[in-house]
Amino acid sequence: MTEPFLVVNDLHRSFNDYKAVNGVSFTINKGEIFGLLGPNGAGKTTTIRMLSTVLPPDRGDIVIGGYSVRNNTDSIRRLIGVCPQELALYADLSAFDNLMFFGRMEGLSSQEARAQAMSNLEFVGLTDRAKKGRVDKFSGGMKRRVNLAIALMGNPQLLFLDEPTVGIDPQSRNNIYETIEMLRDRGMTILYTTHYMEEADRLCNRIAIMDAGIIIALDTPYNLKSKLGPPEKVNLEDVFLNMTGRSLRD
Amino acid sequence: MQQLRYIWFIAAKDLKIFTHDRLALAFALLFPFLFVIIFNMLLGSATNNDTRLQLHLVTREQEGLSCQIINALETKDEALLLPGEPVIIWDKDYTAAYNAVENKKLAGFLAFPENFTANITQGKATQLKVITTSDATYIRAALSGLAQHIVSKINSQNIILEATQELLVENPESGDWQQILSSVLADSNAAISTESIITYHVEKIGDMEQENPSNYVIPGYLVMFVFFTAALSAESIVRERQNNTLERLLATTVKRESLLAGIYFGIAAKGLIQILIFWGVGLLVFRIDVGQSPAAIIILSLLMVIMSSAFAVMLATLVKTQRSAGSIAVLTSLVLAPLGGCWWPLFITPRWMQFLAKVTPHGWATTAFNKLMLFGGDFQSVIPEIIALACFALAFGLIAILRFRTSAV
Ligand SMILES: Nc1ncnc2c1ncn2[C@@H]1O[C@H](COP(=O)(O)OP(=O)(O)OP(=O)(O)O)[C@@H](O)[C@H]1O
Ligand SMILES: [Mg+2]
Repeated sequence: MTEPFLVVNDLHRSFNDYKAVNGVSFTINKGEIFGLLGPNGAGKTTTIRMLSTVLPPDRGDIVIGGYSVRNNTDSIRRLIGVCPQELALYADLSAFDNLMFFGRMEGLSSQEARAQAMSNLEFVGLTDRAKKGRVDKFSGGMKRRVNLAIALMGNPQLLFLDEPTVGIDPQSRNNIYETIEMLRDRGMTILYTTHYMEEADRLCNRIAIMDAGIIIALDTPYNLKSKLGPPEKVNLEDVFLNMTGRSLRD
Repeated sequence: MQQLRYIWFIAAKDLKIFTHDRLALAFALLFPFLFVIIFNMLLGSATNNDTRLQLHLVTREQEGLSCQIINALETKDEALLLPGEPVIIWDKDYTAAYNAVENKKLAGFLAFPENFTANITQGKATQLKVITTSDATYIRAALSGLAQHIVSKINSQNIILEATQELLVENPESGDWQQILSSVLADSNAAISTESIITYHVEKIGDMEQENPSNYVIPGYLVMFVFFTAALSAESIVRERQNNTLERLLATTVKRESLLAGIYFGIAAKGLIQILIFWGVGLLVFRIDVGQSPAAIIILSLLMVIMSSAFAVMLATLVKTQRSAGSIAVLTSLVLAPLGGCWWPLFITPRWMQFLAKVTPHGWATTAFNKLMLFGGDFQSVIPEIIALACFALAFGLIAILRFRTSAV
């Protein structure tokens, strides 16, 4: 558990003059679920986009599995899977076709892609609907689950989950928790962002709280809670509000 | 190698989405033919108001060879004519016919001169005249063809007086002249001997022969719809950029270049299907004539696809929203098509419009197709158009490559 799989050092990124990420450093160990929490606009998605090699940082370095994002994006892309905050799927294709396509784009053979697509759709409880109907006819929860299932194609070693449970019912959310727990049990390393504090509390080994482009706290949920009082009595939401303040963001 | 496969997967995925979209499919593949049929009907009825073409012949001789020729040609019973055969009418009065043309009552006629028989028998030069109104291109072409055939028939058989009379006097009703007539419209390039004793002269000659209107309607709509369908694909590229699938793909093992190529070939594949259908239906259903250089037709069609697909990707890189991609695609397609001669042939438009057409890829493409399919041009004759289309494709492609982004930032 102590071997770092991802190392981020002094990451910066601005949009025009706005500093979205302003000097972020952390490491994620192999097999760990690492929570990245923060109010809207804190810079979580921007950080994940840089970690997943699709947005070049202005400054700072990212090393994943021993490869630097500066000169080895190809190797990094083989190790990672991304579940973006905004749904990123082909609305006109079936769930199965979506997974097949992204699987092939991860370099899987047709057979491998088919096998993984079926098992991933089973994880997220969509076996019945796999080939029935276009994804845009799915409910919000089903689309979210397809979005997650796509991220699992190619069996990545490191998974970025950017608010995978936003806007869905407790049943779907529970299904996603269980999927994530199962992935953790298989030894997958996960970076997880969410606005649901009890979710983070339940799933994450360690949590970084980010605000205005910087990390203001980084510890285990237990230790974070102990700062406010007896951890059994305090919930993570109180910690979060205490640290990030009560004023509205964005 | 792997990247090539990625290109194929992306293109195949786009095609799959395209085939799922029935409306887009109908727009790209069926809609054009609706236009072709309508325009064919419009043009067909505009050029032959009478379903049968009427050819008027006049001679200024009172009697003699010309009278016998006309007598042989004249339609005695219209009911016996085959479909497509013209009605031949013997007008007795030259001046009346001439005045009728002047007053636009008659489209045109073919005239034998006063001393026709005398000149022929003495081996002297003589001249047939085709007199038409300036806008009667179809009649003019038909009469010229007929005149040319009479001339070449008489010359090539090296007619001396006896032979001529044998041929015409002994069997004035023989099938020979009917035969000449039936081949008139089919072949107007019969060789004329350099030592012609008979020549013919066409007054108010134009440069256009209207044959099968499909010969320019089909290429026109091919150019328009290949471009239109491709341009509309810009919308789906922008959609992919906006709904994050492009960025998501970038995080897989596909390279940016392959991503771009895959998108490009997905659009090009649609164009390829379109041109296959266009030429297939054109040849089989509309009986178009592709002229003497099918290779040039193929190269031009491919260049249309290559250029239009490059335009689509370029358009997608220049706009921010799906809506502006869609409206610019529609606008450019509907403006460039008539400017570029897709709706009517450029050679009937005023000079400034022909000049303006040169700034559109459509103009170059339709000009080339017209050269090949209407004016008997060969490969050489369309090399400038091929180069121009390639330049458009290159320019659009370069901008597309330079500006291609997977996300808004
Ligand atoms: N492409 C962009 N162009 C301009 N500004 C951007 C862009 N992407 C993000 N930003 C800005 O950067 C800041 C951080 O955005 P980011 O999406 O990383 O926040 P976040 O922590 O993921 O928020 P949320 O919880 O709402 O998803 C925001 O103020 C946002 O407006
Ligand atoms: Mg976000």
